[in-house]
Amino acid sequence: MNAVGFAWRSLVRQPARAALGILGVAAVGALLFDMLLLSRGLIVSMQDLLDRGGWDVRVSAGDLPGSGLRVANAIEVADAIAALSSVQAALVVRSARAEIDTVSGMPLRVSFQGVAIRSTDGGSRLRAPWTILRGRDADTADEIVVDEQIATRAGLLPGSAVMIRASCVADLEALPAMQLRVVGIAEFPFQTTSESTAGGTLNALKIACGGNVGDEADLILVTSRGDADGTAAAIRALLPEIRAATNSEVVGRLQQTGFTYFRQISSVLTTVTVSFAVLLITVLLTVSVNQRLGEIAALRALGFSRMRVVKDVLSESALIVGIGGLLSLPLGLLLASGLDRILKAMPGIPVALHFFVFEGQALAIHVGLLTATAIIAALYPMRIVSKLPIAATLRDEVIG
Amino acid sequence: MRSGSLARLIAILSLLLSPTGAPAQAPAPPDILVSRQLAEAEGLNVGDVVRLATDPAGSRARVFRIAGVYEPTPDPSRLGQVPRAVRMHLPDLLEMTRPTDVPAGAEYVGFVNVALVDPDDAQQFASDVNARLPGVLALPSGEAAGSAAPFRVLERFHLAIAVVTIIAATVFLLALTIMLVDERRETVGVLRLIGLPVRRILVQILLEGLIVAGVGAVFGLVLALLSEQLINQFFQWRYDTALVFVRITRDVAFTCVSIAVPLGAAATVFASWALLRRGGLRLARR
Repeated sequence: MNAVGFAWRSLVRQPARAALGILGVAAVGALLFDMLLLSRGLIVSMQDLLDRGGWDVRVSAGDLPGSGLRVANAIEVADAIAALSSVQAALVVRSARAEIDTVSGMPLRVSFQGVAIRSTDGGSRLRAPWTILRGRDADTADEIVVDEQIATRAGLLPGSAVMIRASCVADLEALPAMQLRVVGIAEFPFQTTSESTAGGTLNALKIACGGNVGDEADLILVTSRGDADGTAAAIRALLPEIRAATNSEVVGRLQQTGFTYFRQISSVLTTVTVSFAVLLITVLLTVSVNQRLGEIAALRALGFSRMRVVKDVLSESALIVGIGGLLSLPLGLLLASGLDRILKAMPGIPVALHFFVFEGQALAIHVGLLTATAIIAALYPMRIVSKLPIAATLRDEVIG
Repeated sequence: MRSGSLARLIAILSLLLSPTGAPAQAPAPPDILVSRQLAEAEGLNVGDVVRLATDPAGSRARVFRIAGVYEPTPDPSRLGQVPRAVRMHLPDLLEMTRPTDVPAGAEYVGFVNVALVDPDDAQQFASDVNARLPGVLALPSGEAAGSAAPFRVLERFHLAIAVVTIIAATVFLLALTIMLVDERRETVGVLRLIGLPVRRILVQILLEGLIVAGVGAVFGLVLALLSEQLINQFFQWRYDTALVFVRITRDVAFTCVSIAVPLGAAATVFASWALLRRGGLRLARR
């Protein structure tokens, strides 16, 4: 019988303690796995979210899109960007606060995104920064799309008329309500959980704001012809007063600011979890070995080599950690989905953003850390069995 | 009513931080405060005269004198962002930020903090303001404290992590106590054979469990207190903030002890129970 088979029998002989050891490793392993998913989850998710729209350069007035600063002379700037040879199209995005009248009389506060596409190869029809779920996209100045939340709360369907009152310049404006037509229900990937959003053309936003919109943009999204870095550099050279960043650069900046807390807490908890696992498995194995000293000495006396009994202990550790580690994967994914739900309640987090994202790299690190745990935890008990004096132990444990 | 006599300029305001020499006859420039982080980053000192502008080109720049360096109130929602900020008197801020086509006195401010004679009137006062001043939203401070929401979420997240950790620790604890109790089966068998009833042995085991769990809990608290300072120092250095990240309060210590001690004692009794159901002879037999 090889060492693994022998270790398996040792575990099966004491099912309660083996099961508890494995369950403990599974719980700790699940937490460890989740911390690894958390360490890069936001970054991977944000990169995916940015890439999904097909716009690979973001132009804004502030260091980060959404900083509150606006690009002045937006249409002129977008035209200049679209005229660059490396640019396929530019999309001007302008947001405003708006109120939608509802049947109950309580207006619904929403964010209204108006977009305008600028492209030199007029045929290309690029996607607006939302996904149509039902109906169609808003094409004309009297059409809008709304999200599910607005549709449900205001009882709107594609084809419904909606009274909307938007404030493009200041929240203090008291503008008359304008009638627009809902032509589709859309999903806005950057919309936060506490937010409702409507979208349409920039002209629709102008109508909703009573023409008082100004020529400013919160963001200009750019699709390059393949070289995002080169395009961003070309835009920066053309318009030095504004910021142009590729999706990777935006993620990099976020990584340095808003996402650091989760990386730090992930590192701290990973360290604590691994230390906890090493300590506890070491204690479990040590106590287990101490209880079986007589048995191990008898095996040595029967001809088992020192290396063989050391391998048995290592195999036992590997089996506990291995089985526990395997169980930790589904447990970890389940736990991650619960923790993700908790964290996504944080205000300002886009609905489509996730804190815990599965990556092959995280799994590889998880396996590596558990392997190291199994080996390190077995070191002390292996030392005990390797230095076991056979005759003295037999006398103490068996005869005495 | 307490108006915002000092306004804060955050990163939005572009700074032209070139110390400048004021003409001898010119009136003294208005005072500003600069954040410690900004002062350190730009090598600014109290008494320095600087020019501030609202755009990178430096148009309409104004001269100010640094009257002091302040430590920004730690703002958890700005964690990771080094507060390069200045504080100035509201009229100076309005003078700098007012568009050229807006006459003086026609500007608007973002917020006005109001201190009431009777704080209990906050809700009624907010309702009155909302009714009388259309376009103005008044909220009692408690409701306006939206910035606390992320931390309530983080609190729930940490609680969830703590629950998982407790579950894992409990499972390990059970495994360990089962092994330790098993190690003492002969002793327990002898105690049974000399006539000690199961209840008496169980009480002894419970007391032992309580002592071990109590010592463990105290050790854990001491470890937490020692690491508290270390963790705070690390994160305060990492984020350049005065925020306190870990604080072992009396409530936290009480919660930890009230979970750890009963859990440890219960695990010991639970692990012993199966053993005690066996006969004394069987337990004492080698």
